Amino acid sequence: MAAAEPKGHGQHSGMWIYPDAKVISQDVSEKSKDMAKPFRTALVVTGILFILAIVGFIARAADDGFDEIGPWGYYTALFSMLFMVTSGAPLAACAFRFTKSHWRRPLSRVAELFSIVSILNLLMFIPMMIVLPSLENPAGSVEGQMELRRSIWFEGPIGAPHAWNLAGVAFLTITSIAILWTSAIADMGEARHSATGLKGWLYRKLAGGWYGTKRQWNVQKAGLALLGAFYFMIVVFMHFTISSDYAQSLIPGWKDSIFPVLYTVTAFQASLGAILVTLFILRRWGGYEGYIGKSTFWSASKVLLGLTLLWVYHLFAFFITFWYGRLEVEQNIIKYLIVDTYSVIFLLNLAFSFVLPFAVLVWNPVRRSDWGPSLAGLLALIGGLMFNIRIFVGSANAAPGENIYHFLLHKVPAPAYPDIWDLFIVVGGLGAAVFIYLVSTRILPILSIWEVKEGTFYQKWGKLHRGEYQILGKPE
Amino acid sequence: MAKKPILGLFETADNAADAGDALKSAGVAPTDFDFLTDAPYPEGAFGEREENHRLYIFPFVGALIGLTVGIMLTSMTQMAYPLVQGGKPILSMPPMAVVTYESTMLTAIVFTIIGIIFESRLPAFKEGLYDTRITEGYIGVLVNVDEEQLTSTQTLLTQAGAIDVVRKDGGSGA
Repeated sequence: MAAAEPKGHGQHSGMWIYPDAKVISQDVSEKSKDMAKPFRTALVVTGILFILAIVGFIARAADDGFDEIGPWGYYTALFSMLFMVTSGAPLAACAFRFTKSHWRRPLSRVAELFSIVSILNLLMFIPMMIVLPSLENPAGSVEGQMELRRSIWFEGPIGAPHAWNLAGVAFLTITSIAILWTSAIADMGEARHSATGLKGWLYRKLAGGWYGTKRQWNVQKAGLALLGAFYFMIVVFMHFTISSDYAQSLIPGWKDSIFPVLYTVTAFQASLGAILVTLFILRRWGGYEGYIGKSTFWSASKVLLGLTLLWVYHLFAFFITFWYGRLEVEQNIIKYLIVDTYSVIFLLNLAFSFVLPFAVLVWNPVRRSDWGPSLAGLLALIGGLMFNIRIFVGSANAAPGENIYHFLLHKVPAPAYPDIWDLFIVVGGLGAAVFIYLVSTRILPILSIWEVKEGTFYQKWGKLHRGEYQILGKPE
Repeated sequence: MAKKPILGLFETADNAADAGDALKSAGVAPTDFDFLTDAPYPEGAFGEREENHRLYIFPFVGALIGLTVGIMLTSMTQMAYPLVQGGKPILSMPPMAVVTYESTMLTAIVFTIIGIIFESRLPAFKEGLYDTRITEGYIGVLVNVDEEQLTSTQTLLTQAGAIDVVRKDGGSGA
């Protein structure tokens, strides 16, 4: 075991752990090689789901082609769900590094590894470009129709929307992988002498020149700060363009400045949820209880609670503007996305994104446990999926054909229920994401070894006054 | 004359710092020795020299290039095809801002990645002197000295508390 007994007293009993820095590298390396039965089973199950997703995709393409976006609504919802998690998760690593939070140390690599899943996102985006209706009305100037759909791209500058969207999604993937590489280079550099086979080759190629000199540590620190800042700036921008192009612009007359913010908050909430669920699995069944203390869950739970409250605030702000506006199109959009057509999905969305996580996280003892924040995270993930189905399936099917060039949504459309291929795509796609994540944990250590070691310099359990407390060093 | 590397391994940061002091006293230039660690120690923990880098220049240059390209692309497109949309001016800022922002960010990111690779001196095509015990928390003091100074440097590192001294030619021993 790489850690002493968890420390803490009173209501914080067992909250903090202090890993032994000397054995972390070897211990984590051995854990990364471990292919225990539950892991192999998870790999097989998610691998089968991955295949189902591919079958569903091919069947969808064979049945409906790529001419209309309507049949691809569930595919778009799945893309958006994965996009939310994979784009938001690396930001958690960056943000908590910015704030120099010690509790984030075991969380960083868990969050950064989602960047490998974002490669799937990038591939999934290609068909989405094909099915997105043209900004320009193919019929030209027709009475009662717009010549150019309203979108964030205004007159549609060179390459808009596809080239700029693709570049944005690609650069999110590239930047998040660059963050992962910059962070993992120290761990790969350490392990390149002992790793064998493909892993050894990869480590030598990716971290061949790493020796842990002062200059390298300084550049790594500055690089992570810069990439993190740029990542934040581009992730919010891409949330804006994706939610605008694949949701708002597809419902004629939907003009809303709050929706992109709601989208971003949902993304941050769902991605933190995914990180917490992963941490819980690692702590309970992955053998990492000596590295992932309850303090990580406790601290993250407060952020998750804040995001949950922000989510409902933005939802209400979105709703009240349209409800009070009372224009026909605003009423139709409310009926379509909230109170009528997709009302059941909306209620599930509300329950899983706000009511249930709030009911869990509001209790102090639950926030101090490892299961409480993880449960809230799981609920937020389900809520995120409901949000994406409601918004993206709804948007893709709101105005089929030439109706998309109308000025307003004149009537409330009917719901689009999933068929068997949609189920294959959604369930299989989620499985595919888990599969890729599981594989990535065998390539890179799931614990940021250098960060956990660094944490041991600055945290110790010691005497202060008449009690024993966690004593923190603050070098900067 | 070409310099040869020699690596002393220390159990504690204090011993490594003592070795650094001893090297300085022996007239070894601060640029000729470095501390190798498995985690980032706080600034000045070994009394080491200040390490400056120019990483911040890279994204700045990249952002400037992206900004220029973005402004040129959007303004020249609009001037080449002067279509009035919704009564707005031909050169209106909001549509230009979207594309310009993205191009600025993208080039800044590319230049940052290039900067990290360059400033970290990566990749290195020739393997340097290293010892895997550094991954267990030992601190390496890597010294580059003239060949005839290798023995005296080894003695100096040992006297400072090195538990082992490793040389490129395979020589080892405290």
